[in-house]
Amino acid sequence: MSGSGDSQAIPAEGDPIDEAEALRRLRCSDDPSAQYYAAWWLGRARSSHPDTVPLLQFALQQRRARDPGAGVEENAVARNAARALGKLGPAATPAIGDLLETLDDPDDGLREAAARALGDLRAAIAVEPLRRRLASGPAGAGAQQSNSPRLVEPCEALLEALGDIGVASDEVVAVIRPFVEHERPLIRSAACRALLQLTGEAHWGEQLVVLLQHPQLQVRRAALMDLGAAGWRPALQPIAATLAENSLKLIALRGLVEQGDDAATQVDSEIAAVLEAMDALL
Amino acid sequence: MTLPASTTGETADLQLTQELIERVEQASTALELLQATQALAAAAHPAAAPCLVDVLGFNNPGAAVAAVDGLIALGNQAVEAILTNLDGYNYGARAWAVRALAGIGDVRGLEVLEDALAQDIGPSVRRAAARGLGQLKMQELAEAPRAALVQRCLGALEASCGDGEWVVRYAVVVGLESLAAELSPTAELRPRLRQALEGLRESHLEATAVVRLRAEQAIHRLEAQHG
Repeated sequence: MSGSGDSQAIPAEGDPIDEAEALRRLRCSDDPSAQYYAAWWLGRARSSHPDTVPLLQFALQQRRARDPGAGVEENAVARNAARALGKLGPAATPAIGDLLETLDDPDDGLREAAARALGDLRAAIAVEPLRRRLASGPAGAGAQQSNSPRLVEPCEALLEALGDIGVASDEVVAVIRPFVEHERPLIRSAACRALLQLTGEAHWGEQLVVLLQHPQLQVRRAALMDLGAAGWRPALQPIAATLAENSLKLIALRGLVEQGDDAATQVDSEIAAVLEAMDALL
Repeated sequence: MTLPASTTGETADLQLTQELIERVEQASTALELLQATQALAAAAHPAAAPCLVDVLGFNNPGAAVAAVDGLIALGNQAVEAILTNLDGYNYGARAWAVRALAGIGDVRGLEVLEDALAQDIGPSVRRAAARGLGQLKMQELAEAPRAALVQRCLGALEASCGDGEWVVRYAVVVGLESLAAELSPTAELRPRLRQALEGLRESHLEATAVVRLRAEQAIHRLEAQHG
């Protein structure tokens, strides 16, 4: 069903696999399709096998020339390895150094995956390298590449990682601040989210609520995810009323319960209101 | 199409509905289809049901949402149209049909909801099915068939307490809580239902905080009602 938000971008490999099979496939460095799926699987399953992190670290180093026949594009295995590491929590700490190195890779898609993983891992050591990547501002890091619609830096991922890691120094806030004026609404949304997470100032949340009304569905979806990631509870009613898939609204509302400075541990009247809105969207 | 006057209301309504059906059938753009479907759904006429069911298969999510709303508004009168040809639906249409059946709550939808919760690949479909299994309308059933029905709903919900998607487990909690309303305070199934909810409340069993909180809320409410 299109637009339901259900489908994961995975290559179907036939039958379901188990952890041992995923580890076996990840070792198949001559079969990038198998590795690509295996890396995704291990992250998704939050694998805690002792071989998982070392194998993902190794896969993160893997670079190969584009081979259309293989069905997997350049560096796709390394990207999925980065994403998987981001899902493994503290167990992936030994790989933070590898992810920091990957933040300097020439492939901006790979830098994007590494930035997100470092944000997922709340790696405080990554704050300065992430900040440096954005320091040239919207006209530098945020400019469009000459030969592609992509930006010079994966700004959305860098901004989100800084917000997720949560080091609210003046230097970090000062670098993020100009991106709330970026010409692309998705970048503005990411910048407002990070500033809301770092400063707690309501006006960043209010700007995200305005983006929930944006004519483009893609922007409304991003603002939903960003409000959820920040756990900004005043957005409850605007989220429930947004024109977007219920699946995404439910994820955003889950964020209102679980994220933010006062993550819920019991059902008070504020949480009950969020749960009621979630029930109505099922 | 001839239907008894008692179910169709005014003849003029039927004529209007047929005109609206033609608008849906002749829509040539996604926007026209959406608007025509919304108008047909708003007419809330039983004769619209087969056409609304067709719209579920048109791969137009906006129109499908409007059609599902229209089918839910028709309630029991739409169930036969949905269940007929269910096997002929494409995946998307089937997913929307599950949502419509979950919203209508007619007991004839039981098997479709059971299958969807157990097997559908889409979390949004399993989510709708779990909610639907908690809100089948059983008030008019006699005691024995009603108990059998509750047992099947409970079994399906219990089996999905370990679903891989948090949102489905959340919907299982909601389904279990509403299913509890169908049980008498002394019903044998009540401890089983309570046990399923308790599993979803425990942090060593349930990884997602919002699911645990929702289970806590459900247990708290059930205790307030029945002690």
